[in-house]
Amino acid sequence: MANIKYMLLISRQGKLRLQKWYTAIAAKEKTKIVKALTSIILARKKKMCNIVEYGDHKVVYRRYASLYFICGISQNSDNELLTLEIVHRYVETMDTYFGNVCELDIIFNFEKAYNILDEMIMCDGSITETSKSNVLNNIKTMDILENNDNLDRVLS
Amino acid sequence: MGSSLKSFIKDVRGAKTLSEERSIIQKQSAKVRTKLRDDHLSLEKRRKNIQKLMYLFILGEKTHFGQVECINLIASDEFVNKRLGYLAAVLLLDESQDLLTLLTNLMSNDLNHSNKYIVSLALTTLGFLSSPELVRDLYPDVNNILKTSKNVFLVKKALQCTAKMISKDITLFDVFSLDTIKDILNNNSLVCHGTLLGVGKVIQAYVKGFPAYLEMLKSDNTNIEAMEQILVADISEIIPEIILQLKNLNMKNTKPEYDVKGVCDPFLQAELIQTLKVIFQLENTAINDQFLNKFEDLLTFIATNTDPSKSSGQSILYETAKTIFSLNLEQSLRVLGINILANFLNGKNNNIKYVALNTLLQVIPQDPSAVQRHRKYILKCLFDPDVSIKSRALELTFAILDESNIVESITELVNFLEYSSEDNTDLNIYIVEHLVNAFDTIKVSDEKWKLDIFLKILELTGSYMTQERINDILITLNNVTNFDNKNHFVVKLLNISLKKYEEANKSVDLFSDNFAWKLVTVWCIGEYADLVLSKSKSSIISETNLTKYLVDLDTYCTAADTKILDYLLTATLKLSSKITNGKAIEDLRQIILTHTKDANLLIQMKSVQYELIFSQPVAIKKPILEIMPKFEKKQKPIFESIHRASSVIKKTEKPRSNNDLLLDLLGDDTIGDNSNARKPTNSDNSPQGNADKDLLADIFGSSNNRSESVSQTHIESVSKDHNTNSVQLPSDAAEIYDDDNITIYGQVNSIETRLAQIELYFKSKGNITELLSLCAVTKTQKLVMGTLIPSSDINTGNISKQSLKITGSGKLKLRVKLEFKIDGVDHSELFDHKFDHSI
Repeated sequence: MANIKYMLLISRQGKLRLQKWYTAIAAKEKTKIVKALTSIILARKKKMCNIVEYGDHKVVYRRYASLYFICGISQNSDNELLTLEIVHRYVETMDTYFGNVCELDIIFNFEKAYNILDEMIMCDGSITETSKSNVLNNIKTMDILENNDNLDRVLS
Repeated sequence: MGSSLKSFIKDVRGAKTLSEERSIIQKQSAKVRTKLRDDHLSLEKRRKNIQKLMYLFILGEKTHFGQVECINLIASDEFVNKRLGYLAAVLLLDESQDLLTLLTNLMSNDLNHSNKYIVSLALTTLGFLSSPELVRDLYPDVNNILKTSKNVFLVKKALQCTAKMISKDITLFDVFSLDTIKDILNNNSLVCHGTLLGVGKVIQAYVKGFPAYLEMLKSDNTNIEAMEQILVADISEIIPEIILQLKNLNMKNTKPEYDVKGVCDPFLQAELIQTLKVIFQLENTAINDQFLNKFEDLLTFIATNTDPSKSSGQSILYETAKTIFSLNLEQSLRVLGINILANFLNGKNNNIKYVALNTLLQVIPQDPSAVQRHRKYILKCLFDPDVSIKSRALELTFAILDESNIVESITELVNFLEYSSEDNTDLNIYIVEHLVNAFDTIKVSDEKWKLDIFLKILELTGSYMTQERINDILITLNNVTNFDNKNHFVVKLLNISLKKYEEANKSVDLFSDNFAWKLVTVWCIGEYADLVLSKSKSSIISETNLTKYLVDLDTYCTAADTKILDYLLTATLKLSSKITNGKAIEDLRQIILTHTKDANLLIQMKSVQYELIFSQPVAIKKPILEIMPKFEKKQKPIFESIHRASSVIKKTEKPRSNNDLLLDLLGDDTIGDNSNARKPTNSDNSPQGNADKDLLADIFGSSNNRSESVSQTHIESVSKDHNTNSVQLPSDAAEIYDDDNITIYGQVNSIETRLAQIELYFKSKGNITELLSLCAVTKTQKLVMGTLIPSSDINTGNISKQSLKITGSGKLKLRVKLEFKIDGVDHSELFDHKFDHSI
């Protein structure tokens, strides 16, 4: 199984593009983790495996174009391979939503990236919905609701 | 600078320098802060600022000032505000904040809202921010959704929330019942992948929390057995349903939306496997008797029916293997699991190789022989370009090393060393450490081969080999009883050394940085020159060549090479008694002579003493310079992780001042790592040390113990002449510590200005061995400790004493740490004592 402790999206230049923490961690510790993982993971070569041991837990990551998707999971109980599949599912879903997603989409629409993530992963990092179409339908409905509110405001 | 979020992001991205970027961010941060403080700010503007705040959060900036604003947005009636408010709250707040209580009422309302999306937002947020108060207050609302809602979208989220809540607060077990879960499973319109994921989570949380709940009930005198039976009954009803669902998922893949590379919803499959695993981990006989067989059949089915060529299939197979091992299922399944992993090793993908090696490493204790069978694949992974795979494969190779495969495995490892590059020094050190150790524990029939391996690793890794390993090799060599084998090694070693030396034509390269090689060569010249000189047919090993080697090495030695010089002097002395060539003997004599004025006191002292021996007649010299007796070797733990091994090596041994000691005592976690340096028998570990001691004791009868890098605070092993003494406890000694194993008395012998002498008496209550007492004093004082008299081994009722000399000023306070063994079991004690005196 995979309970994700945190998910970080870091660009090839080492810039944080998204961060999501599924466990309560002190701000100082968060900064430390982000800093350490950025340097560890950016330095890894392409052929190396996507699993790194860091501190008391494991980190799996995968690079999609210019972005690294990084997930912290527990040392022994979690399934590293499945975590990679979850990341891939997330990327696929965003790809459909944005239509060929790229780093810029996520930078300017981080809110949407979070919305999609929240539909897929809940609580302490467990996957909640595995159907892409379910996730997207719900997100789209909520987007419409949001726009209706805006429309109402304009009309009144 | 624009005012929208978009332009803010653009500005940050457009910054040319880091400082420019910082100034843009700080300006915006200040701006957002002032804006949010304005009570009359419109909701639309407020939203904009919260969005900016979220961007600041992503950038890693401080955002605490906006936390209350998120809550204000949630309070709004409009969906757009609520959506943003909840999203921001989840990001900017966490479970530990008091602020969350402000949310209670808002969320309670939203959980009962008519719009399912608003309910869903509240559920998602509750799942992230489950503080104890929120859990307690909002549980009824969530449970209500579970019970009454017909909406799959909400039920799935409510299930996830419930799982988190009951794992946070076991008192909820009083009101939560698995009946809700059974109802959902029985309601066809609710069963779908999303709800099944949630059902799995709830069951896991329930089963995991149940033992703790029973514990809690115990104190209330509730009938626990009845409770347990209810659980068993509930779970027994649920298991068949889950097994059925899982089997269906694995068999047919008909829903394209759940397909992942040809496998149907691997996430749900893994979740259900995990759920069943957690249930069987309860080890409830009633449940296991009824269902474990079925589960085993199902795992076998999954293992054979899942496509191993796709990453999604691999993740399920991996989960299956992990489950088999963690439940320690029967042999046939274990073999199945190990075979799954072995197939992974054979693949091309590095991730599956890594997880396979990692898991096999954990399985070894359960089934070494099954892992053994895949040794070939494991050895192959040694040569993988990925360093983490290399290191895992190494650990695994050593873990399965035994008599049957040692020759093949070690040949492969030496092969690895040969092609290993400089950046792998850590791994190389790890190999050498474990390889030398492996020879201690595993019997090798072919001694000649073993010595050849030593020669090879000296050649390959000598430049960074630790002193301890060099000593191990020397000890092993010394203890070789077969003359031919020994001769074989020494001739080979000297041949290479002397040949290189000739080829290099006395250039500096000759004495390259292969420290271990040099040391072993020097030692062998001293010990075995006679052996090889008489037997060797090769012309290169001659009296003059050996002498020349020593002479030249001596000239190239810098002051920093004390260790080499130390060995070289002894070798010189020994060689002189083994050769007949007068000129060579004189050359050797000169080596020693030049060092009688050495700046290094140690070398100087040794040279002076050796010079005395040198001039003795052969009849006296010969017996002193006999070859070494057989050495005893200390056993070391063999298996430790690479990380640990290399960190120990990197620690340089340095003399410890009292301050260090104090630090160690206060935070005693480093003691374990370093304890080797402080073991009483430390100096005995080195053959050279032994040689000196014998030599000096015989000639001068003095107890001239020269501990080198080791500080005086060590408790040295007892010298023989002390053994007969027994210690009496003086009548005025006061008891300062007492426990089940030992009583300690202290006596202040003398107090002068800035100097106190104290005796500690250790009276044992059991057979204590290897007692090591470490004392620390306050920072204003310094401490010198004597040895334990008569011995660091104390039989029941006997007493050993130790004298302490404290200089400095202030009250006399001691912190004492004791490490000792009773019947081979390690004990350690730590206590403080304050004397009534001060200096």
